Amino acid sequence: MLLKNTYNEFIKIVAKPRSYLGFGALTLLIAIIIFAMKADGETIVSFITASFEQTLSFNGKLVNGNLIAFIILQMLVVHIPLLVALVTGDLISGEAAMGTVRMLATKPISRTQIVLSKFIAGAIYTLLLTVWLGFLSLFVSHLVFGAGDLIVLNSDGLVILQEADILWRFGLGFCVAFLSLLTVATLSICLSAFAENSVGPIVSTMAIIILFTIIGSLDVTVFDTIKPYLFTTHMASWRSFFEDPVPYDSIIQSIVVLLVHIVVLIGITLYKFNKKDITS
Amino acid sequence: MKKLFLLYFLCFAAISFGQTANAVIDKINAKLIAVKDYTVNANINANIPMIKIMPSNVKIYFKQKDKFKIESKGIVIVPKQGFTELNSFISNKSKYTAVFGENAVIGKVQTRLINIIPNEGTGDIVLAKIWVDVAKSVIMKSQITTLSNGTVNVDYTYGDQISRGLPSVMKFEIDVKKFKIPKSVASDINKSSADKKKASANQKTKGIITITLSNYKINTGLSDALFVKKKN
Repeated sequence: MLLKNTYNEFIKIVAKPRSYLGFGALTLLIAIIIFAMKADGETIVSFITASFEQTLSFNGKLVNGNLIAFIILQMLVVHIPLLVALVTGDLISGEAAMGTVRMLATKPISRTQIVLSKFIAGAIYTLLLTVWLGFLSLFVSHLVFGAGDLIVLNSDGLVILQEADILWRFGLGFCVAFLSLLTVATLSICLSAFAENSVGPIVSTMAIIILFTIIGSLDVTVFDTIKPYLFTTHMASWRSFFEDPVPYDSIIQSIVVLLVHIVVLIGITLYKFNKKDITS
Repeated sequence: MKKLFLLYFLCFAAISFGQTANAVIDKINAKLIAVKDYTVNANINANIPMIKIMPSNVKIYFKQKDKFKIESKGIVIVPKQGFTELNSFISNKSKYTAVFGENAVIGKVQTRLINIIPNEGTGDIVLAKIWVDVAKSVIMKSQITTLSNGTVNVDYTYGDQISRGLPSVMKFEIDVKKFKIPKSVASDINKSSADKKKASANQKTKGIITITLSNYKINTGLSDALFVKKKN
């Protein structure tokens, strides 16, 4: 029954025009980035190497498909949560707004299973969006720019990763990026359980992300104690796969924090939806 | 009279030593000029503060007087200065004054220091010092101070191409000023400001790049077109 309902929920997502907005926006944004890098990639990369080029000379193909994929991932992971929330923030509140939640609750399926099926359908949508991001950023940029070593700039300095040592990092990086987006999806589903319209959960999700991101980026010691517990702090942990050596401890910590957020948010959603008064 | 004699003696000594230093450089130049071009396989191992890069194998092309090209599959980092500048600089005697310094032993080789001072103050090179194995007419160590890049020390080790003055190992020691990372580009949100300050304080100021050269192919008649930069 859970699988059947998940299938139904996914059909609902597919039927909504807004579900394609994310794919369209991603395609357009990536096309713009690739065009910009093709036109003026060398200048953009010189911002990274400028500090070092006074004494050192960088030889080889600096602007390549791997660098473009990394830049795309870095630029878009911040914006994709909006595209995810646009769909998942509507999953429960949309039913309430259209009045179909009562009909849904009369089906021979528990409310817990209804929430879980919506969560799974939302997760599949998020996965498809992540896969599309991966396909466009890796495949298309490799097609346009070719392969090559990856030059990554961290606050510790430059890390230059060899071409043969990159693909697995992207693979694992996308997995963690998916987990981050799944956290956002779960948050919006959770907020959706509290709302009666679609706009509220979407805007609230973005407001929370913006607030947490600002707290995380403020270099103030007073926030240092709460930063490790904010999910936004761990949303960029995919980037850690591009450090050398890879800080597996901090990545695992980030994964645990994100998973805890997902479990807690699903728990809250289940509690709220099971207690929800659908008669009025 | 004594003072005049002393002055005359000092002038004579300075001129004669200068001529001898120039003669040593002439012998080095003669070797270097005989190599019109070369191709060599190189292994580059960079140990530079704030940069992590694996050793890489490249091919280096050189053609007189200062054409230089590195061909690599991936990204390689080499010193901005130190490959052709010294040879190019010492090849033009009118541009500098060379004077002997003290003797020094480098490895097990007895060397003589030659200070090379530019005659004009308009160039990038402020001072060049070379430690020369006079018997074999090869540079064992050089120290070039420039306005733009600070000081670069290079240690040379020679192998089977010593007769042509081509080294088998070049070890560059570079002054790296504290690199500044643009905050907008690097975003390690998991690192606190204290961590970043600590990393910055621990930053070394010397970088070492070791280039091991092998399989020289000399005077094969490399084309100028090889050195034209291609757009990606």
